[in-house]
Amino acid sequence: MSVVALQSVSKCFFRRDGEQLEVLRNIDLDVPERSIVALLGASGCGKSTLLNIIAGLVEPDHGRVLLNGTPSAAFKDWRSMTYMFQEDRLLPWRTAAQNVAFGLEATKLSRAERRVRVAETLDLVGLSQFANVYPYELSGGMRSRVALARSLATEPSILLMDEPFSKLDPSIRAQMHAEVLRIAALRKVTIIFVTHDVEEAVVLADKVVVLHPRPGRVRETISVPLAYPRDPLATAFTDQVRHLRRIL
Amino acid sequence: MTDARDVPPTSGPAAMKVSPAAAIERPARAPSATDRRLRTLFLRVGLFVAILVAWQIGSTNAPAFVLPSPERVWRVWISLVATPSFWTDFGITFGRILAGFAFAAVVGTVLGLVLGASRLLGEAFEPLLTVINTVSSAIWAIFALIWFGLSNWTTIFVVFMTAMPLILTNVWQGTRTVNVEFVELAQTFRMSRRQVLTKIYLPTILPPFFSGARLAFGFGARVSLVAESLGATSGIGYRLRQAADLVQTDQVFAWTLTLIALMIVLETLILKPLERHLFKWKERVPG
Ligand SMILES: Nc1ncnc2c1ncn2[C@@H]1O[C@H](COP(=O)(O)OP(=O)(O)OP(=O)(O)O)[C@@H](O)[C@H]1O
Ligand SMILES: [Mg+2]
Repeated sequence: MSVVALQSVSKCFFRRDGEQLEVLRNIDLDVPERSIVALLGASGCGKSTLLNIIAGLVEPDHGRVLLNGTPSAAFKDWRSMTYMFQEDRLLPWRTAAQNVAFGLEATKLSRAERRVRVAETLDLVGLSQFANVYPYELSGGMRSRVALARSLATEPSILLMDEPFSKLDPSIRAQMHAEVLRIAALRKVTIIFVTHDVEEAVVLADKVVVLHPRPGRVRETISVPLAYPRDPLATAFTDQVRHLRRIL
Repeated sequence: MTDARDVPPTSGPAAMKVSPAAAIERPARAPSATDRRLRTLFLRVGLFVAILVAWQIGSTNAPAFVLPSPERVWRVWISLVATPSFWTDFGITFGRILAGFAFAAVVGTVLGLVLGASRLLGEAFEPLLTVINTVSSAIWAIFALIWFGLSNWTTIFVVFMTAMPLILTNVWQGTRTVNVEFVELAQTFRMSRRQVLTKIYLPTILPPFFSGARLAFGFGARVSLVAESLGATSGIGYRLRQAADLVQTDQVFAWTLTLIALMIVLETLILKPLERHLFKWKERVPG
């Protein structure tokens, strides 16, 4: 069964001058359980809006959003989904550890359990030594790793990520890719993520959805049938990358 | 996992950030922080001594009931502090200020949140707030005297009417600075309204609340004396008026000294440390 399914979803925004801006048109998307889907497309083609719609933050004008087969409005198990926004959205008055704990505070976990979970997740993103540091004292890349940790701490089964690794340097990015793949396999997570980076899409995703702008629509959906872990130097890999670049 | 994950502690937060001010400053000429602090301290002591000297010179050229000498005020103050009624009056006034301030903080915060939550109510109440703010505290004191007579409530009411609008305005403005992105974040974790209020709204409002409360307490403390001198039979304001009626100028000075000391103690022992503790998450402006 598909975990997330969009059926001809459209969305218009009204600009302040009263004009209508068609952001998404007839988007169909099917995300099977335990799959990793990449949304690839130019800036402004509505990728963040699409994630907002899936997360239930924005109502589509037309079309249906099904989560685990239930219409979004009737869906109950929202706590199994987390959303890592394009901006890190760290609360400035909380330390890194407290920020990671934020999502856990909505759950029934005890204080001690939360502390353990926070320590584990911070360790996962390599920021154990910065647990008691406030966001203003962190670099951009560290901040986005804290945001990633906050999304992972609640152990979601659906993970939405909007350009999660764009602020990381190549080596840490590769590590985070490996980590996300490991967690996805371990905890049976379904992932939808946005990226501008074609190689990143091919490293992580088993399905790449290429969007075209103004209005945003699905240009093509490509499956990547390579086994994990993927070697960016292999010919099959570079062929996929080249193919995607051509479509973009 | 591998190496880069174990970010060495040597490249800690302090090492990673280069303060822009440090880059601009010419290191040879720029005074160090301790130098600057010493200079400020020196200037302050100098100013204090200058005032004392001017006071002394003034007092030798004027009769004691106009301007008593510093030495005389000091002696009167010492004996004043020794009288048992000093601490009763002190406690009564302080209690009234605290009571009025506490009511103001609670009512101001709740109303500020309500007005912030409802645009309609906010627009409806805006003119009322302006009216309340323009009424002088002496007028509140007179009204209070009519309504409550010579009782504690007169002073408490005046403190309340002065402090409450200040706190309300700041909390209300604070609700407008709440970041929708943070509220959205809380929503994706399906937090309850109460959780959103305590985890997003309150921390955002705390800084403006704090500065409003600080201002309100200062104003409240000042107007409490006006209220007490008009409508009370105890407290520092009452003693001040008594001393003035009997032309005991040195007593007036001694009470004033008490109030200044109280404010300095509150500021340095409570407010400053509290502020530093509450807002340690804020990046300090260098310099
Ligand atoms: N709340 C809103 N009101 C009006 N217009 C909006 C709103 N949110 C987004 N838009 C518009 O919708 C379009 C798509 O925005 P969106 O943020 O989804 O793009 P994106 O694909 O995520 O771009 P990027 O890669 O730069 O993040 C943009 O043209 C933007 O101006
Ligand atoms: Mg975006």
